[in-house]
Amino acid sequence: MLFKRFIRNITWPAGISLLILLLLYLSALFAPFVSPYDFKEQSRKYPNAPPANIHISPLSEWGKGFFYVHPVKMADVYKRRYEEDKNRKVYIDIITDEGRLFGLSEKEERLFIFGSDTLGRDLFSRTIHGGRVSLTVGILGVLISYSLGLIIGSISGYFGGLADNIIMRLAEVFMSVPSFFLLLALAVVIPSNVSSAMTFLLIVVIMSFIGWAGFARVIRGMVISERERDYVMAAKALGASHRRILFKHVIPSTFNYTIISATLSIPGFILGESALSLLGLGIQEPDASWGNLLASSQNVQNLINYPWILIPGIFIFLTIMSYNFLGDYMRDIMSPRDSGGVE
Amino acid sequence: MFNLPRLYISCLSILFSTLIFTACSSKEGEKSTEAKKAKQEIVTASLSDPKTFNLIMSNETSSTAVLNYLFEGLIRLNPKTLEHEPMLAKSWEVSDDGKEWTFHLREGVRWSDGKKFSSADVLFTFKAIYDPKVPNSLKDIVSIDGKPFKLEKLDDLTVKFILPKPFAPFLSVIGVAIIPEHALGKALEDGKFADSWGIDTAPKEIVGTGPFIMTKYVPAQYVKYMRNPFYWMKDDAGKRLPYLEERTILIVPDQNTMYIKFTAGQTDIHSPRPEEVETLKNDSKKLDINVKRVGLSTGSSFVTFNRNPKYFIKDEITDPKLKWFTDKFFLQAIAHAIDKESIISNTMFGLGKPAVAEISEENKTFHNPNLTDYAYDLKKAEALLKEGGYKKDRDDVLRDGEGNKIEFDLNTNAGNRLREQICSVLKEDWEKLGMKVNYRPLEFNSLVEKLMSNFQWDAIMIALTGGHEPHNGANVHRSSGNLHFWNPRQEKPATEWEAKLDRLVEEGASEMNLEKRIKIYHRIQEIYHEELPMILTARQDDYVAYKNRIENYEPHVFGLFRPEMIKIKE
Repeated sequence: MLFKRFIRNITWPAGISLLILLLLYLSALFAPFVSPYDFKEQSRKYPNAPPANIHISPLSEWGKGFFYVHPVKMADVYKRRYEEDKNRKVYIDIITDEGRLFGLSEKEERLFIFGSDTLGRDLFSRTIHGGRVSLTVGILGVLISYSLGLIIGSISGYFGGLADNIIMRLAEVFMSVPSFFLLLALAVVIPSNVSSAMTFLLIVVIMSFIGWAGFARVIRGMVISERERDYVMAAKALGASHRRILFKHVIPSTFNYTIISATLSIPGFILGESALSLLGLGIQEPDASWGNLLASSQNVQNLINYPWILIPGIFIFLTIMSYNFLGDYMRDIMSPRDSGGVE
Repeated sequence: MFNLPRLYISCLSILFSTLIFTACSSKEGEKSTEAKKAKQEIVTASLSDPKTFNLIMSNETSSTAVLNYLFEGLIRLNPKTLEHEPMLAKSWEVSDDGKEWTFHLREGVRWSDGKKFSSADVLFTFKAIYDPKVPNSLKDIVSIDGKPFKLEKLDDLTVKFILPKPFAPFLSVIGVAIIPEHALGKALEDGKFADSWGIDTAPKEIVGTGPFIMTKYVPAQYVKYMRNPFYWMKDDAGKRLPYLEERTILIVPDQNTMYIKFTAGQTDIHSPRPEEVETLKNDSKKLDINVKRVGLSTGSSFVTFNRNPKYFIKDEITDPKLKWFTDKFFLQAIAHAIDKESIISNTMFGLGKPAVAEISEENKTFHNPNLTDYAYDLKKAEALLKEGGYKKDRDDVLRDGEGNKIEFDLNTNAGNRLREQICSVLKEDWEKLGMKVNYRPLEFNSLVEKLMSNFQWDAIMIALTGGHEPHNGANVHRSSGNLHFWNPRQEKPATEWEAKLDRLVEEGASEMNLEKRIKIYHRIQEIYHEELPMILTARQDDYVAYKNRIENYEPHVFGLFRPEMIKIKE
């Protein structure tokens, strides 16, 4: 029902957002296939190489490849100036022998479609791999904090009284934990042989265990007003158990709000990850996330001379905008006052 | 001031600011150029706040950088000629047996509050340093085998130092800044010296003989100075120095801010990072600045492996790591797997040189030029590991003779981008050899805690500053030294080569013939090269950029030549 309504009424911004998100998630899922190089591989002869100029081959050469680049070479190590060898063409293979989506036909040359970083690592491969962290973080964080918030909030609202009082005071305790300092402390406590992806996962999980409190309060409020409704009374009169009433009737009535709010708060987690990695607390080198890729643009010099290091920022921007458009659209179609959906 | 080996904080430029005075003009300075005569003021930037105003108690460059203008020693090293030049002492002589040094103090020197400077102040300074209630790092520097120098006051302007035995580096260590007895004498008597002159002291109360007086300190913002009207030094024309009327040190949060402040014209002198050098050179006309190479940095980032049995042997069970970290095959393989060329071209923008000897080439007197570098060669590294009994298993995991996985932690201080990048390069190559390297940058204080007190670490990348006098590294070389990182404060040297190092350090200190001393220090560098307690990476070229209107600004690797002479072009 909901899904049908969702597809039938889809608007342009929501459709494009959905498409972008699908593409991003697919590329993150198949990152080793999509990226032309290993994201840790250092091509040390190519530090801070600019994005490649990709040319379309003339029709007669389509047998060798649809696109080609001129190989580049560093001409000046101090200025990081690269020169193209205009006399040579290196074609881009689609589905290479190594089982990657694309790559150069000559293995000793390098193809950096987003440029490279100071250690000569391919920014495109790193961005795609970084998406694995940045894109899952949001969903994982929201999943944990919202399911906790939903259950705790509705129990508290439904039963009221002493349980409500205890749970809400507990929520206040959680809300008053200074999360930033908690993270600082965690970053030091976590043993160093835990991989940085694992470290990060731990941090997200712990963050969401703190983050449920605010959402639980909203749900509690909604449940309090819901439990006074006639249908709940009717269910009670028919002898339904508390569990049945809660899970079959009361909680589903808050789903509209939950889904919208969850979609809209995924970007918060993505930004949070970026901020943490930017500060050096999240994903650590050489692993990649969009946040720690952006960290190198904190250096003014890098930003001026190698503006392509901002590309991961564009990815963050796109993802967040997409989630926001999608969230807006969901709110529109699920709004109870207008159950017919948007026109 | 001399440069004792200090762990240096997050970045090279902090170290740099101790070596080099920086100068600048603020907006006010620009206004006064309009009024025809340039205001004699420069502004520089520093990365962190001073921790104390008590020079004897200061342990880190952030404090000494602020205090350097306020105090002077009896003599100082001329960074240009590398000879010692008279400061508060105008001349000195040594007895034939090399044990008695007599210093004749300069007449007419006054403290910045107008009181007369005399030999009592010199005696007081050393009394404070040697006081058991005053914990300070100078103590080790100005003593021989733990025995202090004896001081005698011959008259108001003559002091005699009596040494337990001849001490070659005496002149290099005797440049300790002299502090005033009339201001601090009571604190020492009451046992409160260690807490006196903290950063809450009114700046005017900090009395020195140096060219400047501190006038204002606003934490996290700036330190302001004005010229000391009583300063004794005069230029050739007999005019009192310094030429500068005022100077300011801005305290900025990071190196980016430092760079922006400099290019915006808010500071006058800047120590650029390697990536900034080219940009500044290109813009030098527009910014009206001069960009100059000072020389090769004296410090080099190095990796050291923990060899401390206190950490690795617990309940009579020895961690296999201890065996690897003392194994020459392992260490040499590690050294051969450091791509120094790429480190220089990629992280230092080509501005650097591979570090081979423990003493920098820039120290022409003591550098040992005869060592051959461990060339970057992964095949050779693999061969060495094989020879040492290490094997790669089917999953390409390197294991030692007993089948233990080779896995260790690598730490460095977070926030130092250069060092973090070097670590990334090292990790990639070492993992190609089949090792598992758990790299994690740590906050500077927790890194120091690991190194100095709890010893819970495997491999650490850090750097040391180096001065001209090699004896200042005694704390690192000696097996009993607290900067003997890999196994500090040993009661008895654990290995033969460490015992040899101990002996050489003693010989180096007592040998008065320079030729023979040089040989001793060459030998020390050879031992470091063979035993690899510190595996060196690369030394960076140090640059300075300063406004063209600053005159007489002459930086050298070991410091600034005659900083009192700096002035603004009229």
